[in-house]
Amino acid sequence: MNRRGFLRGAAGAGLALGAGLPSIGRRLAAAAAGPNLSHVEARYYVRLPDREIECRLCPRLCRLGDKERGYCGVRENDGGTYYTLVYGKVCSLNADPIEKKPFFHVLPGTTALSLATAGCNVNCKFCQNWEIAQVRPEQVEAYDLSPEAAAARAAGSGCPSIAYTYTEPTVFYEYMYDTAVKAKARGLRNVVVTSGHINPEPLAGLLSVVDAVKVDLKGFSEKFYADYVRGNLKPVLETIRAVAKSKAWLEIVALIIPTLNDGMAEIREMCRWIRNEAGDSVPVHFTRFQPMYLVKNLPPTPVSTLEAARRVALEEGLRFVYVGNVPGHEGENTYCPGCGQKVIARTGYTIETVRLKKGKCAACGTPIPGIWT
Amino acid sequence: MDHHGQIMAKARVVVVRSPNAWTSAGNPDPAVVARMFGRGFALLGDGSDGRATAASLFRADDRVGIKVNTIGGRAISTRPEVALTLAGWLAANGLAEKNLFIWDRTTRELRDAGYTPAAGRSGVRVFGTDTDGVGYGTDLVSHLGVGSLFSKIQTEFATASISLAILKDHGLAGVTAGMKNYFGAIHNPNKYHDDHCNPFVAEVFDSPPVKSRHRLTVLDALTVQFHKGPSYHARWADKFGGLVFSLDPVAADAAGWALIERLRAAAGLPTLRDEGRAPDYLSTAEKMGLGRADPASIDTIEETVA
Repeated sequence: MNRRGFLRGAAGAGLALGAGLPSIGRRLAAAAAGPNLSHVEARYYVRLPDREIECRLCPRLCRLGDKERGYCGVRENDGGTYYTLVYGKVCSLNADPIEKKPFFHVLPGTTALSLATAGCNVNCKFCQNWEIAQVRPEQVEAYDLSPEAAAARAAGSGCPSIAYTYTEPTVFYEYMYDTAVKAKARGLRNVVVTSGHINPEPLAGLLSVVDAVKVDLKGFSEKFYADYVRGNLKPVLETIRAVAKSKAWLEIVALIIPTLNDGMAEIREMCRWIRNEAGDSVPVHFTRFQPMYLVKNLPPTPVSTLEAARRVALEEGLRFVYVGNVPGHEGENTYCPGCGQKVIARTGYTIETVRLKKGKCAACGTPIPGIWT
Repeated sequence: MDHHGQIMAKARVVVVRSPNAWTSAGNPDPAVVARMFGRGFALLGDGSDGRATAASLFRADDRVGIKVNTIGGRAISTRPEVALTLAGWLAANGLAEKNLFIWDRTTRELRDAGYTPAAGRSGVRVFGTDTDGVGYGTDLVSHLGVGSLFSKIQTEFATASISLAILKDHGLAGVTAGMKNYFGAIHNPNKYHDDHCNPFVAEVFDSPPVKSRHRLTVLDALTVQFHKGPSYHARWADKFGGLVFSLDPVAADAAGWALIERLRAAAGLPTLRDEGRAPDYLSTAEKMGLGRADPASIDTIEETVA
């Protein structure tokens, strides 16, 4: 069997839940697979003269001539009509612990059917999944999975939720939205892991069909976003505000990278902003950086830095603050802000104990916000 | 500097035109295009011997990748008649036919632009990076602000490279020509269109897989899209009937820009600078030492062939 055949066979086998796909890094189609692209008209764009279009999905507002693609690489102008090339074209599909997203206040101990298509609308220099996020859809193996089939697969495999994750779900908005509708009809939850680069109108639409959103707040300065994310901070903050005001549950992850965004003054400013704009009950995860993609010259984040950030956040009044990517750390646990008791004990993605009664601390009765059932 | 690293007083750009470049059926005439290549190569040297110029650029055993730009379909891509004629001219002037290949990102785009893919063992090969067994290298090349995988055609198959680009106006970059053509050699060109592609066009060109192999720029200016590019719009496409040659990749593109401005002015259009999309990546490239962008540093030789 040649490499191409091997890749197809291995990835195909991975679609059986429980088997797991081969690691993302090995699945980039270096041996060029035949493209499996959709041709479904995109939402949120306007037609312009001379067969040009302007995409209104994300703040980039890509203005494209005929045959051109947006920054995301997965949406294309064809003759003045804009198409998504990745509708139902899944390149990664796994049943993951929901803690891996991470969501710590959503259905703890359950698995989420986690899926992605190729593409992303930013270009983080520390991207963990660049082999599928920073590529065009022709460059990964993709498999057909309709919204209905995705919902059925989640329900049939005992996953109470579907997570839109790994890459940037905003770029497969149409597929995510339609899948969320199908999943919702089956009584499943929908959770989104995003960088927050999405425009208010599509975000509002999305928030009407999803249950929880985790936003990566990658730094707290426009300079950091310009230099290391190729995006902007402002729309991310607007997204966080909008999610906080919606019925959807919000969690925030801040990846702390040595020397780039680990200043405690900046972290304090970020925490203060979160408390004031999103509320003190929003879980905030300070996660550990590992050298990756284009940032390989920096060491992993010292655990002491994450602990310092957590202390700052607690000082600023945030009530649920976590340390991430440090399995076994005490900062992985959920503590009751009323009595200080450990209400959810975690080790990595494993739930050890849950001491909640109807969303309240079993010891003192303090409400612990989240989606628990 | 030229490709040998020598300081050049001025860059040389050769523009060869022919009133007979187009047949009555509206296609490029290969015989005329071959004469244009002959004069172009000759004028890159002392004007007498195009074969000698080719010999100075390529070793006899070089495997030469001719990178074309076919994203614009049949209407506004590097024409097959031009690419195949160049390959034929090189084969007749010292290079082995089996060591010549015409390539772009995908076989589909090549086919849509009128090429007949050919990946056999003999003859000039025509194929895309997506051809089975080709693909992109797995080692990420991180160079200045660019992080990309490069087509194996550029990194493994070719020992020397010609950018045979179509000359077009570009809504974001201002101009797409020889240097930006190498965006088709990386897996993620969509990530490098911010800020009018500046400095990314220069940085991709400066990356080792490109800079170490690039020998020559030829711009297919038989048809020039001088407005509303990179898509084809007949109203703003001029049948200029020319080829632009230079050993200096920046000067070639600067000359292409000048030509686009000439056509825009004739059509009563504002300059790219006035439209806020001048190709400033050219001056960036000049600052990086990749070539000459300042018109005062460029000698342009124009000649017409029958």
